[in-house]
Amino acid sequence: MKSEKLQGKDLINVGIYSAIYFVVVFAIAMLGYIPIFMVLISALVPILAGIPFMLFLTKVKKFGMIWIMSLLMGLLMLLTGMGYYSLIVGAVTGLLAELIYKSGNYRSTGKAILTAGVFSIWVWGNYLPFFLDIEKYFSTRQEYIDAMTRLMPAWMCPALFAAAFIGGIIGGVIGKSLLKKHFTRAGIA
Amino acid sequence: MQNGILQTRIENRSFVLDPRTKLILLITMSTFVLGGMGSESASFLTPCLCVLPLFLLTVSKKYKSAATYAGIYSAAYLTFALFGPHTSGCLHFLLLGAAGIITKLMPSLTMGIYVISTTTVSEFTASMQRLHLSEKLIIPLSVMFRFFPTVADEFASINAAMKMRGISFGGKNAGKMLEYRFIPLMTCSVKIGDELSAAALTRGLGGTVKRTNICRIGFHLQDMIMILLCAVPFGCLFLDACGAF
Repeated sequence: MKSEKLQGKDLINVGIYSAIYFVVVFAIAMLGYIPIFMVLISALVPILAGIPFMLFLTKVKKFGMIWIMSLLMGLLMLLTGMGYYSLIVGAVTGLLAELIYKSGNYRSTGKAILTAGVFSIWVWGNYLPFFLDIEKYFSTRQEYIDAMTRLMPAWMCPALFAAAFIGGIIGGVIGKSLLKKHFTRAGIA
Repeated sequence: MQNGILQTRIENRSFVLDPRTKLILLITMSTFVLGGMGSESASFLTPCLCVLPLFLLTVSKKYKSAATYAGIYSAAYLTFALFGPHTSGCLHFLLLGAAGIITKLMPSLTMGIYVISTTTVSEFTASMQRLHLSEKLIIPLSVMFRFFPTVADEFASINAAMKMRGISFGGKNAGKMLEYRFIPLMTCSVKIGDELSAAALTRGLGGTVKRTNICRIGFHLQDMIMILLCAVPFGCLFLDACGAF
């Protein structure tokens, strides 16, 4: 009989996949210093990170694993200087993603893709400082502020939210097809 | 793997900081240097903070990393300082972007390298337990901590292998870049992860009893100095916030 509580092995799995996920996120986020990419990141990160995330979902069988991963991402964003907003956003969206995947008994493919979409919304948390207090965020570089405010009018806020969500869905679909192509055959997923 | 930049060597350490101090340092660096949160009155502190990783790497005898950091940072800073005012338009943006990446990212990144390369997983776990974090966060965090160097290492190897096959930006199979890098990375990460979890389970991770830890961690004089140093920019920020209201 399998217990419902999280075991050491599950937590180790969370750690491993969070590490892979974060490496991918970090590699893409490097592009963000070029202003135009800053906007694209909200879709790019979920699309590419969706691949490891879908593999992670095949390992998720108990309540809490997705939520913990979401919190870890928030903590790492705090440690890498992106502010605490993604921790707050991640705490909510992680729980939602968890509940969605749980409602499909941790098995449904359609729910998994939706989960990837909802989970990806934490990326949006990184943008919140732009809309809340841009002056403070880039207090040192006036040119950068100008470029950013031109790129980020207020309506971008919901647009980025949607971009993260849709990117997550696309990433989920890509991840699913790659899983089918490679991992199921190799017996990993 | 033997001489990896992120591998921790316990022997010949002379200057040891508590892992919690390192975390505070990391947060300070990322908030004020990477995040650029510094208030006007604290802006003079940013260069001091940028020197900090250099100092820490040097005293922990990681001369190579220290020299690399100093070289790249000063090159980027000087390039922007010299050519920045004379350029305009697109070129200016490119320069600003490149110099911005390096001057803002390098200090925090180097601090991250310092933290990872001088802390063992046991020390890290011990300090997390002292902070009374939940097991559910400690285990994934320490696994991640242990796993970052491995992922980076594997990724470098896969990169090299794929370059040899012509699957890179310049190569003829650039379209396959993503798939041919991600899939091997994930496959081998999963394999390593399985081995890692088996190894951790034999050491009693995830058992019902409380695990003991032999690492001696604690705050010393050097920790106090570092924490005081970190408190200054936060204090300035706080004072500014109070003054604004």
